[in-house]
Amino acid sequence: MIVRYEPWGAWVKLESTAAVVAIDRDGARALGLDGSRGAWGEGAGPSAPIEVHLAVTERCGAGCEGCYIDARPDGREKSSDAILRELDALRDAGVFTVAFGGGEPTTRDDLDVLAAAARERGITPVLTTSGLGLSEARAARLRGFAQVNVSYDGPGATYASVRGFDGADAAERAIERLAFAGMRVGVNVVLTRASFDRLGHTLARARSLGACEAQLLRYKPAGRAASLDYLARRLSPEQARALGPTLRSLAESHCADGAFHVRIDCALVPFLSADDAITRDPARLARFGIFGCEAGGALTAVRTDGRVAPCSFAAPAELRGEDLATGHADDGMLGRWRAYVAAPPEPCASCAIRSACKGGCKVVAAFVDGVHGPDPECPRVLAHRSGAA
Amino acid sequence: MSEERRIEPEQILVARVGHGANCSSIGSVVDTLFVAAAVGTAVFAALAAALATEDVRVVGERAGDSAQEAADADARRARQGDP
Repeated sequence: MIVRYEPWGAWVKLESTAAVVAIDRDGARALGLDGSRGAWGEGAGPSAPIEVHLAVTERCGAGCEGCYIDARPDGREKSSDAILRELDALRDAGVFTVAFGGGEPTTRDDLDVLAAAARERGITPVLTTSGLGLSEARAARLRGFAQVNVSYDGPGATYASVRGFDGADAAERAIERLAFAGMRVGVNVVLTRASFDRLGHTLARARSLGACEAQLLRYKPAGRAASLDYLARRLSPEQARALGPTLRSLAESHCADGAFHVRIDCALVPFLSADDAITRDPARLARFGIFGCEAGGALTAVRTDGRVAPCSFAAPAELRGEDLATGHADDGMLGRWRAYVAAPPEPCASCAIRSACKGGCKVVAAFVDGVHGPDPECPRVLAHRSGAA
Repeated sequence: MSEERRIEPEQILVARVGHGANCSSIGSVVDTLFVAAAVGTAVFAALAAALATEDVRVVGERAGDSAQEAADADARRARQGDP
């Protein structure tokens, strides 16, 4: 296992099973780690991220209508040397996981080399791809990644309703090819007003193709999605309030045997504030690692231009990826994002799930309200603004 | 590996299961939230068992060089079964 000291104990990345756990100081001592000579790091400043999203290219020919990075066929590509320097910095910072993305990362010829380079540095590499044009041979070359997620919003018209073109069949072939190559395959499912109500069908189809996991993603107003069209595509308030019961139903239908899992992304967590069963026991969210906005904290992104951002959707800071280990704690922008989470205004301040949610999606808040503030699509925030809470 | 190591499930503050391979936003397995209490208990017991058996390697720079050296020494002792 790989251990990283924290003031409260330690983060631990297990190697015999795919899990990252936080243990308290007594647990760390039980591992033989006594924290002598200041190893707990009190007063050493904020911790480095445990997960980094690394954009390795802005090239992509898919042309998804809502692409958050505005990727294009002639987009910028990062050099291999620059990526290796960034991986060095991630290693020095004690990062556990690096998610390669873009753009379409499989447009690069060196992905297998980069996956191996991450592993040599003790970092678990994972990958997101559209899967478009992924041959069997190409799929087999991705075995160095611990997991590959294919963007798949649903069969047929559901996929097209999210991305603006008919790519479902190609994505399905990619899922099958990756699974056939013996890899852990997940699917990324973007939730829009059109795709939300077909989730059960989408997950059943993904599982039948060999996927072991579905990650549900909130549609976010960044890149090409930062337009008025966002307001028509985002989940309706009713759908947002229905997320908790929907997840409960999906878990019962698709996950009971433990062979398939459902994830939600950070931006969906505020919608759980509408679920009474969850808000009655908010500590359970944190114990199972279900957290909202960790941008600038446990999560950081590195863009293709080398600049660090709190997350992949946020504007960049001055800090460069190759300086992450030494600059993460002191960067002003990352610090402002962390400070907001530590002391959010109402209605987040008194929210039962605040410690897990961490104030909702700031990218949505910046687009809709023009401020770094409460998530304007959170059911609790909507109720507060209407005077009902 | 030390046979004397024993981690209690209660000492696990947070369990993030799975790899998660999305490159744009961080994700969390959520179906575990809805499983029966006994299944949840079993998840944490399994993680505690894994913690007790895997070799330890310390990473990270937050604590500075001297503390990192101490941490590495801790890890070496843990590997030798002499915490």
